[in-house]
Amino acid sequence: MAALLPREGIRLGLKAADRFDAVRQSGPVLVEIGAVEAPYVDAMLERERQISTSLGEGFAIPHGTDASRGWIRETMLSFLQFPEGVAWDDGEVIVCVGIAAVGDEHVGVLASLARILTVPEQAARLRAAERPEDVLSLLGSNEETKR
Amino acid sequence: MAIQGTDVRKVVVACEAGMGSSVLLVTQLRDRLKGTDVVVQHSPVSQIPADADVIVCHRGLEATARGVAPGKVVVAFSMFLGDPAFDRVVEAIREGKALEG
Repeated sequence: MAALLPREGIRLGLKAADRFDAVRQSGPVLVEIGAVEAPYVDAMLERERQISTSLGEGFAIPHGTDASRGWIRETMLSFLQFPEGVAWDDGEVIVCVGIAAVGDEHVGVLASLARILTVPEQAARLRAAERPEDVLSLLGSNEETKR
Repeated sequence: MAIQGTDVRKVVVACEAGMGSSVLLVTQLRDRLKGTDVVVQHSPVSQIPADADVIVCHRGLEATARGVAPGKVVVAFSMFLGDPAFDRVVEAIREGKALEG
C-alpha cells in the first residue's frame, strides 16, 4: 500500500475555496508523486462537473474520465484533508482521495475506505487524522481485513 | 425490465471511468451479498460485460447504461452511502424477489 498511497501523497491541514479548487489541488499531488501527467488534472475537473464524486461522510474521490486513462503512469492515490470543510453539491467534504488507476491495484485501499465509511466513528477518525501515519494505519488496518 | 433475484448471477457496478465509485461500491455490495453465489464486479459504463444480469449505476449514467446494455435491469442510485437502491438489489437477491429497473 505504501506505493499506492505514498506518504508524500498525504497532505493534511489544507484549505480550498470550493469544490473545484479542492479537485484542482488534488490533481497536482498526483502529478508530483508520479502517478499522472498534467492533463489528467483537467479530466478530473471535467469528471467532477459531470457527476459529483462526493461519497458522503465528508469524503470525495476525485478522479479522471475513462478517456483520460492515457495520462496515467501508475495506479496511485492521494489524500488531501481540508479540516475547515469544502462545500460540495450535497454537503461538506473534509477529505479528497484523488484516484489515478489503470489497473485494479487500488481496489484494496478503496475497499478499506468503503468499510471505514460504513462505520461513522472510523470515518471521523480518518477525517481528523493529524499525521500521515494515522491515515496509513487506518486505511491499512482495514485493508488487511478484506475478503 | 425485471429479473427474479434467484436468476441473478452477476451484478455489475458501472461508473464513468470504472476506477472510483464503482470500485468502492463493489466492496459494499460484496459484503452485503456474502454467502450467495452472486458475482459483483465493477466496470466503466461503456464496457458493461454481456453476461451482467443487473447493472447498478449512478442516476446520471442511467441512460448511458441502458443504451450500452439494452434489455438488462438497471438500478440507479443517487447517494453512495445508504441509498435504498442498494437495499432493493440485496433484498431481491437474498429473498429471491423480483427486481425491477
